[in-house]
Amino acid sequence: MKYIDLLNFLNPQHFPIFAIMLYFLGAFFIVLFGKNRIARNCIAFLATGLSLTLLILLVKPIFLDGGIIAYWMGGRIPAGGYAIGIALEVDALGLFFGLLVATAVFVSCLYSFSYMSEDDNEPQYYTLFLMLAGGVLGMVFSGDLFNMFIMVEILTFAAVALTAFRNRVTGALEAAFKYLVVGCIGSTCILAGTILLYQQAHTLNLAQLATIIPNCHGTNVTVAFVLLFIGFCTKAFIVPFHPLAADAHGAAPAPVSVLISGVLTKSGIYGIIRLTFFLFQMMNLGAVQFWLVFLGSVSMFVCVTMALAQHDFKRLLAFHSISQIGYVLTAVGLATALGASAGLYHAMNHTLFKGLLFLCAGAVLHETGTTDLGKLGGLSKKMPWTTVLFLIGAASISGIPPFNGFASKWLIYQATYEKAVETGNIGFAFVTIVALVTSTLTLASFVKVTQSVFFGQLPKECENAKEVSWGMRLAMSILAILCTLTGLFPNAVQKFLTQPAARTMYNVSQYIDGMFQKGYAVQEMGMSAPEAAAVRFETVGVWNPGNWLILLLIALLSICIVAVASKYDAVRQNKSEKVEAKYSLFYGGEPTEFSQVGGGDLFWGFKHNWRHYFSFMHDLHSGIVNDYSLWAVVALALAMVYALIVL
Amino acid sequence: MELILSALKSLAYVLIFPGFLFCFLSGMLLCGIDRKLVARMQKRVGPPILQPFYDFFKLCGKETIVPAAANKVMFLMAPLLGLASLVVLQLFIPVFQYQIPAFAQVADVIVILYLLLIPAVSIILGGASTGSPYAGVGLSREMVTVLACELPLVLVLLSVGKVVGAESDGGICFSMTGIVNYQLAHGSLITHAGLIPAAIAFLLVIPGETGNHPFDAAEAETEICEGMLAEYSGAPLGVFKLNHAIKMLTMTSLFVMLFFGGIGSGLESLVALVGLTGTAARVVGMLLAVLVLFLLCVIVTAVGISFVHAVTARLKIEQIFKYYWTVVSGLALLSLVLVWYGL
Amino acid sequence: MMTLNYIASFFLIVLGLYCIVVKYNLVKTVIGLSIMDYGVNLLIITIGYNPGGTAPIFTQGELQAASYFVDPIPQALTLTSIVIGACVTAMSLALVIKLKEMYGTLDTREIRRLRG
Repeated sequence: MKYIDLLNFLNPQHFPIFAIMLYFLGAFFIVLFGKNRIARNCIAFLATGLSLTLLILLVKPIFLDGGIIAYWMGGRIPAGGYAIGIALEVDALGLFFGLLVATAVFVSCLYSFSYMSEDDNEPQYYTLFLMLAGGVLGMVFSGDLFNMFIMVEILTFAAVALTAFRNRVTGALEAAFKYLVVGCIGSTCILAGTILLYQQAHTLNLAQLATIIPNCHGTNVTVAFVLLFIGFCTKAFIVPFHPLAADAHGAAPAPVSVLISGVLTKSGIYGIIRLTFFLFQMMNLGAVQFWLVFLGSVSMFVCVTMALAQHDFKRLLAFHSISQIGYVLTAVGLATALGASAGLYHAMNHTLFKGLLFLCAGAVLHETGTTDLGKLGGLSKKMPWTTVLFLIGAASISGIPPFNGFASKWLIYQATYEKAVETGNIGFAFVTIVALVTSTLTLASFVKVTQSVFFGQLPKECENAKEVSWGMRLAMSILAILCTLTGLFPNAVQKFLTQPAARTMYNVSQYIDGMFQKGYAVQEMGMSAPEAAAVRFETVGVWNPGNWLILLLIALLSICIVAVASKYDAVRQNKSEKVEAKYSLFYGGEPTEFSQVGGGDLFWGFKHNWRHYFSFMHDLHSGIVNDYSLWAVVALALAMVYALIVL
Repeated sequence: MELILSALKSLAYVLIFPGFLFCFLSGMLLCGIDRKLVARMQKRVGPPILQPFYDFFKLCGKETIVPAAANKVMFLMAPLLGLASLVVLQLFIPVFQYQIPAFAQVADVIVILYLLLIPAVSIILGGASTGSPYAGVGLSREMVTVLACELPLVLVLLSVGKVVGAESDGGICFSMTGIVNYQLAHGSLITHAGLIPAAIAFLLVIPGETGNHPFDAAEAETEICEGMLAEYSGAPLGVFKLNHAIKMLTMTSLFVMLFFGGIGSGLESLVALVGLTGTAARVVGMLLAVLVLFLLCVIVTAVGISFVHAVTARLKIEQIFKYYWTVVSGLALLSLVLVWYGL
Repeated sequence: MMTLNYIASFFLIVLGLYCIVVKYNLVKTVIGLSIMDYGVNLLIITIGYNPGGTAPIFTQGELQAASYFVDPIPQALTLTSIVIGACVTAMSLALVIKLKEMYGTLDTREIRRLRG
C-alpha cells in the first residue's frame, strides 16, 4: 500500500458521503459526549455547519459546470455494465434538494440551542435531530432504491420520535402513534414496490433501473409504480395523508416542525420526481400528468380550507405547509420545463418561509406557553422583532410582492395556464384559478393569525411575554433575509438554481451516463439521448423586481417621514400609567373589557356560506387512527385501479 | 450622468405622472364627482365637486392621535404602505399607447392582481394594530370582501388573457401592454361577444374592490363605526380616504383599459390632423389620452359605482360573499367557457 | 409451488391492513403492522427464488454448475427489513405504553384529542 494521500479527501467526489456521514457521526458523538451542554452544542453546530459548507462547495462542479458525482461505496465500481455496489449519485436535482435540507437543518439547529435549552433529555433530542437530517440527505443523494427505503425508514423513525419528544404536550404521543402507523403503511408500500422492481430488473441501482424499467410493461411494473408512488406520497403528506402532518407539526417542538415541513415533505416530493421522471419516465403520459396535477390541486385547496378552520397556530401552519406542497406537485406534474422550474422554485421558497413561520410560532409558544389563537393577542408590542419577521414570512407565503412566494407562484400560474392553452384543456385553466384562489385564502388565513396573535388586544396571560433571545432571532432573521433575497432576485435564482435542476429532470440519459460511463444510456436503451438543449424555459413575461426598487425607495422615504413624525408632539403616545381618555380605545360607551374577536369567528361571512363543507370536513378528520389508515388503503386501492386502467 | 437622469425620470414617473400627483388629483376628482352624482340621483344638492380635497387638507391639519394600545409604527405605516402600492399599481396600467417603458413588456396582470390585495392588507394591518374590537369586526369583513371579489376578478383576467393571446400568437397574454396594443389594432374587447359577460362581471366587481355601497360592510359607519378606521384620525385617516379615492381611479381605469382600450387608436391621427409633430405631438397626444381616459373613468364610475350606490342598500357580509361567488363568478365563468371554445 | 407463497404473502399483507383499519385496540394495530411486515418479507424471499437463477454479480461467462443458487440479495434485504420491523414494533409499543399512561385507555376511538 502506498501512503494515503490526504489531499484526496478534499476531492469534491467525496463531499456527498462526508456531508451525510457528518450528520450520523454527529448523532453518534452526541450520544457519547452529549452530557456536557457545550460539547453537545459544538458537535451539533459543527456537524450541521460543515455539512452545509460541503454542499455549498459542490455548487460549482454540479450547478455551474453541469457535472454529476457518482460515488461507489468501497470503490465497487460497476463491472460489465452491471451495478454491483452501493452508489451515491448527486446530480443538480439531488444537490438542489440537498441544499434545502442542509440550510433548513443548520438554521433550525441554531434555533434549537436556545429554544430547547429548558427541555430535559437534550442529548437525545440532538441525536434524533441529526439522524433525521442524515436520513433525508442520505435519501436525496442515494443512487440505490433500497438505500432510499432505508433512509426513509430512518427519517420516519427520527421524525416519529421527535414528534413524541415533548410527550407531556397534549396530543404529542397520539400524533406520533398515528404518524407511525400510516408512515409504516407508506414505508411498507415503498419496500414492496422496490422488491417488485427488483424482480423485474434484478438490480436496485437507480440508474440501471432507469434503463430497464421503461422498456418493461406489465401489471407488475404498474403495481410497483403505484406502491412506490403512494409510499412517497405519505412522506410528502399529500392528500389524503395530510392529517398526519397537521397532528405531527402541532405537537413537535418548533425546530422539528421546520424539519418535518421544510425537509421531510421535500424528500417525498424528491421521491415522486425521481420515480416519475427518472425510474419510469412516464411524465409524457397525459394520465400521469393528470394524476399529479389533480392530487396537487386537491391538496392545495383542501388543506387551505382546513387551515382556515383551525384555531391552533402550529396546526394551521401545518395545513398550509401541505397546501404549498400541493403547488409544488401541481407545477412538477405539468411536465413542462417552466413547470418544473417553477415547482422547484416554490419548493425552495416553501422551505424558507415555512421554516420562518414555524420558528415564529415557536417563539410565541416559548414566550406565552400556548399556540391557541383564542388565548393570544397583542404580542406586537411585546415581541416587535418576531412580529416583523412573521409579517415577512406571512407576506412570502401569501405571495405578496416582492417576497419570494410571489415570484414562484407567478411562474406556477403562467405554467399552468400555458399548459391549458397548449393542450386546449380547460381543466388546466381551472387549476390556475384554484391556485390563485388558494393564494388569497392563504392570505386570509394569515390575516387571521396576524390579528389573533400579534395585533388585537393583549390578554392578561400574555403580559409577561418578552422578546426571544438573540440566538432564536438570528435563526429567524437568516430565513427572513433569504426569503427577501430570493424574492428580489428571481432571475438569478432561476438561472443558477432551479433551471439547472429542472434541466436534469429532463435529461435522464445524463443521469444514467453519470453513474456508468458516457453513452451507456444510448447503448442500453437504444434510445437517442434526449437533448438537454431541447428544454425551454420560455415564460409569458418576466417578473422583474428591479422596478420594485422604486417602491422600496418610497417605502424607505415613508419610514423616514414616520420616524420624524413620531418625534412630533402631536403623535406622542401617552406614557403615563393612567391612559388619558383621548388615547384609549373607543368601546361605544361600554365599560372597557377584553373583547377580542376570536380567531375562529374571524371569517364568519365566508364560513357561513361554506358551513356544510366545513362541518363535513370537520367530521371527516375524526382523529381516529383507523380512519386515517383506511384513507391510506383506499388511496392505494384507487391509485391501483386508476393505474391499471389507464397505464 | 445617465444614471442620474434615468433615476430622475423614474422619480418623475412615480411622483408626478402617472404616479402620485396624477393619482391624487384625478382620484379625488373622481371621488367628488361620484358624491355629486349620487346626491343628484337621490335628489339632493350634494357637496361641491372639490369637497374631497377640502376634506383631505382639513384632516391633514388635525391632530393625529395614536391610541395607547396600538402598535405605533404599524399604525402609522399602514396608510403609507397602501398608498405606495396603489401608486405603483397605477404605473402598471397603460394610458392607451402611452406606457412607462420600465413597466412595459411584463406579465403584469398577475402583478396587478396581487397589488390590488396590498391596500386591503394595509388597511387590515392598520386596523388590527389598534386592537379595537370594531376594527376586529371590520377587518374580518374586509378580508371576506376581498376573498369574494378575487374569484370573479381572476376569471375575468384569464378570459381576457386567453382572447388576446389566442388571436395574437396562439398562446396567452398576461401583459397589460399586450392587451391594450391588441385592442388598438383590432378594436375594443367589449365588441368581442364572448367577453361581454366578463365585462359585466368586472363592472360588478368594481364597487366590491373599492369598498363602495352596497358592498361596504367592512366600513359600515352605522354598525361598526367605520370598522378599521374607528381609531384613525388626522393625516393617516386622510391618507386612507385618499387610498379609497385612488382605488376608484385604479379600478375604473383598469376596466377602461381592459375593455375599451381600442378607443385610443384614433387619438394619434387626431393630433396629426391638427398639424403637430415631434415632442409637441407626443405631449398633446398624451394629454388627450389622459383626458379621454379620465372621461371614460367618470362614465364607468357613474354607471358602476354611483348608480349602484344610489339604488341599493348595504348588504350583509355573507350576502356579499354569496353574491360574488355565485352571480358574478357565474358570469365570468360563462365568459371563460365561451372564449375557450372560440366564441 | 411458489404461487402458494405469493398468495400467502398477499394474504398476510391484506390481513395486516385489515387489522390496522378495523381493530380499535392499539396493541392490535401494532400486531397488524407486524403482520403486514411479515407479508412483505415473505414476498421478498419468494422473489429471490428462481429455478436456475443465480446472484446478479455473476456475468454470463463465469457461470458454472455450482454457481446456480438462490439470489442472496433479497435475503439480505429481508434481514434489513426484519430489523426495521422490529424497530417499528419496539417504537410503537413504547408509544402504546405511554398512551395508556396518559389517556388511560387503549381504544383508538378515545385517543382523538387532535381532530378537525
